[in-house]
Amino acid sequence: MRDDLLDPRAVLLHESAADRDEAIRRCGRALVDVGAVAEPYIDAMLEREQTISTYVGEGVAIPHGTAAAKEVVRHDAICVVRFPDGVDWGGEPVTLCVGIAAKNDGHVRLLAALADILLDPERARALREATEVGQVMKELRS
Amino acid sequence: MAQRTVTVASASGLHARPAKLFVQEAVRLGVPVRIRVGEKSVPANSMLGVLSLGATQGTEVTLESDAPGADAALDALVALLAQDLDAEGALDG
Repeated sequence: MRDDLLDPRAVLLHESAADRDEAIRRCGRALVDVGAVAEPYIDAMLEREQTISTYVGEGVAIPHGTAAAKEVVRHDAICVVRFPDGVDWGGEPVTLCVGIAAKNDGHVRLLAALADILLDPERARALREATEVGQVMKELRS
Repeated sequence: MAQRTVTVASASGLHARPAKLFVQEAVRLGVPVRIRVGEKSVPANSMLGVLSLGATQGTEVTLESDAPGADAALDALVALLAQDLDAEGALDG
């Protein structure tokens, strides 16, 4: 995975959210805070989720904006937001959200790299259970 | 072994929305199918597997199955990949 996609400030490991929308807003806020996207991207993430769930398995969801919202993406980035108590994601328990902001095809490679990690049970668990920012950075950069 | 090769039509590749629609259809069909890019082959009903292929628009993918009903299932999945699933209003999703 490209080194410049994940800002350590966008790794939040001890969050809680009452529901899916709140979790998505938290992810969107993290992307706004590192300057990757403008504010309207958050609503676009909620809109996308209503169209189709971004749950991918292994307790992980990958919220991201609609195609139309690419205009407000300033640079490709991901955020990693962990919800240790879990969030009900349309019936699936989610403990880790990887929020994505990407222009063009950048996100496909990024998703492929993330999927490879999640397909490896050891690495998936390390990512879901990480309590230090450094562990997450290491998993996603290796 | 029934086999079809098709080029991914979705503008942003086989990522979240197009991948989800594809995987949902593979699950609904209930016929074991594998999707392959180059040497990498994964089950068509695995979201993570399909995402791990990293297929972009124009990527050539091969669908394979030797299960009963393979031909009909492959035809249905090929038809999905050959349309732009990013277009709002594509299918019902």
